Amino acid sequence: MEKGLTVRDRFGGASLLTGLNLAMMVAALYLALLWAPTEAEQGNVQRIFYFHVPLAWVSFLAFFVVFVGSLIYLWRRSRWWDALAHASAEIGVVFTTLVLVTGSIWARPIWGVWWTWDPRLTTTTIMWLIYLAYLLVRSYATESSQGARFAAVLGIVGFIDVPLVALAIVWWRTLHPGPIIPQGGVDPSMLFVLFFSLATFTLFYVLLMMGRVRLRLAQDRLEELKYQRMQGD
Amino acid sequence: MRGFWGKALAIAWKDILAEARTKDMVLSMLVFSILVIIVFNFAFESSAEQTAQVAPGVLWVTFTFAGVLGMNRSFVQEKDRGCLEGLMLCPLDRGVIYTGKMLGNFIFMLLVEVIVLPVFSILFNLPLFAPRLVLITVLATLAFSTAGTLFAAIAVNTRARDFMLPILFIPVVVPVIIAAVQASGLALAPGPGEGYWSWLQLIVVFVVIFLAVSFLVFEYVLEE
Amino acid sequence: MENFVYLFAAYSLIWIVLFGYVLSIFWRQRGLERELERLRDKSGQG
Repeated sequence: MEKGLTVRDRFGGASLLTGLNLAMMVAALYLALLWAPTEAEQGNVQRIFYFHVPLAWVSFLAFFVVFVGSLIYLWRRSRWWDALAHASAEIGVVFTTLVLVTGSIWARPIWGVWWTWDPRLTTTTIMWLIYLAYLLVRSYATESSQGARFAAVLGIVGFIDVPLVALAIVWWRTLHPGPIIPQGGVDPSMLFVLFFSLATFTLFYVLLMMGRVRLRLAQDRLEELKYQRMQGD
Repeated sequence: MRGFWGKALAIAWKDILAEARTKDMVLSMLVFSILVIIVFNFAFESSAEQTAQVAPGVLWVTFTFAGVLGMNRSFVQEKDRGCLEGLMLCPLDRGVIYTGKMLGNFIFMLLVEVIVLPVFSILFNLPLFAPRLVLITVLATLAFSTAGTLFAAIAVNTRARDFMLPILFIPVVVPVIIAAVQASGLALAPGPGEGYWSWLQLIVVFVVIFLAVSFLVFEYVLEE
Repeated sequence: MENFVYLFAAYSLIWIVLFGYVLSIFWRQRGLERELERLRDKSGQG
C-alpha cells in the first residue's frame, strides 16, 4: 500500500503496455486517415468510422464490465469489484459521449442532419443516460457504501434494460420510415483498419481502467484515513 | 402467520389507509395530470386529425410525470415520518416490502387514471370506452410501478431526492413509454390495429423482468 | 464531397476529450497522493 502509490511507480508497471498502446494509436491514426482506401459513396468522412465504431464497441464492453462488477460486488461486498464497476462506468460514459458526438458529426454531411432518431443512435443515447444516472446516484448518495449499493443495483437493472430499450426502439422506428444506412460491400483493407483500431481501443480501455481503479482505491484509502483520524481525535 | 401475499397486502393496505386520510398523493397526481393535459391543449391548437395523432403521446407524457411525482411522494412520506425505518425493523422479507409498496403505487396510479382518462377523452374528443386502451393503460401502469418503486426507494435515500427519481426512472422505462404510446395509438385508431399485441407482449416482458430483478435486489436498496 | 472539416472536427474532438480524460485521472491521482502524504505526516507527528 505504501510503495505502490507514487506516480512514477504506477506508470512503471504499465509502462510497456502504455508505450505499446501509444504506438498502436499512432499506427491506427495513420491507417485510418491515410492508408485505408477512400470510400466511394461517402468520401473521406467515412474515415470517422474507424474510431467511432471501436469506441462504441468498447463502451458496450465497459458497460458489461459494470454489470459483472455490480453483481459480484453485491454478492461478495468486496470494494475492489465496486471500484472496477465505478471505473468502467465512468470510462464507458466518456466513450459513449464521443460515440454520440462523432456520430452526429458524421451524420451532418451524409444524412444532411445533425441528429435523427435512428434506432442505434437512440438506443445509444438512452444507454448513455442510464449510465449517467449511475454516476449521479453515486455522487448524491449520503455515504460511499450506500452509493456503491445503489449504483450496483442500477448497474444490473440498466444492463438488463438496454436490450429491451433497443427492441422497443427498433420496432418503433420500423413503423416509421427512417434514414437508410448505405450498405455496400466492405473492402477487406477497411475491415483490417477497423479491427486494428478496435484492438487499440480495447487495450486503451484496459490501461484507463488500471489507472482509474487505482485512483478509486486511493480515494477510498484517503477516506478511511480521514475517518480514522476523526475517530482518534 | 400470514403468508407472503398477506403481508404484502397489509403493507399496501396501510398505504391506502394513510392515503385515504390525507389524499396527498392521489390529489397531487390528479391536479398535475389535468394541468398537463390543459397545457398541451394550448401547445397544440390543432385540427381533429392532428389531435388524434398527438393524443397518445400527451396521455403518456402526463402519466409518466404524474407517476414520478406520486411514487416519489410515497417514499418521501415514509422517510420523513420515520416509517421506513419501522418497516425495515419488522421481521419482513425485503421482497414483501417491495411488493406491498409496489401494489400501493399501482393502485394510486390506477385511481388517478380512472379519473384522468375520461377527462382526457372528453377534452380530446376521443372514444370514451376503448377496451384495448384500458388494457394497455393497466399493464403500462403496472410496469411503471415495478420500476418506479425500486427507484423511488433509491432516490429517497440520496441527497437529491427530488430530482433523482426522474433521472433514474425515465431512461429505464423508455421501452414502456414507447410501447404504451404506440399501443394506445393503435387502440384509438379505427381498424384492427396490427402490432398492438406485440407492444403488449413487450410490456409484459418488462413487468416480468423488473418484478424478478427488483425482488432480488431490493434487499440491497433497503439496508442499513 | 470531401468534407474534410467534419473529419478534422471528429478526430480532434476524440483526441482532445481522451487526452483531457487521461490528464484528469493523472491530476486527481496526484492530488490524492499529496493529501495522503499530508495526512500521514500529520498523524506521524501527532
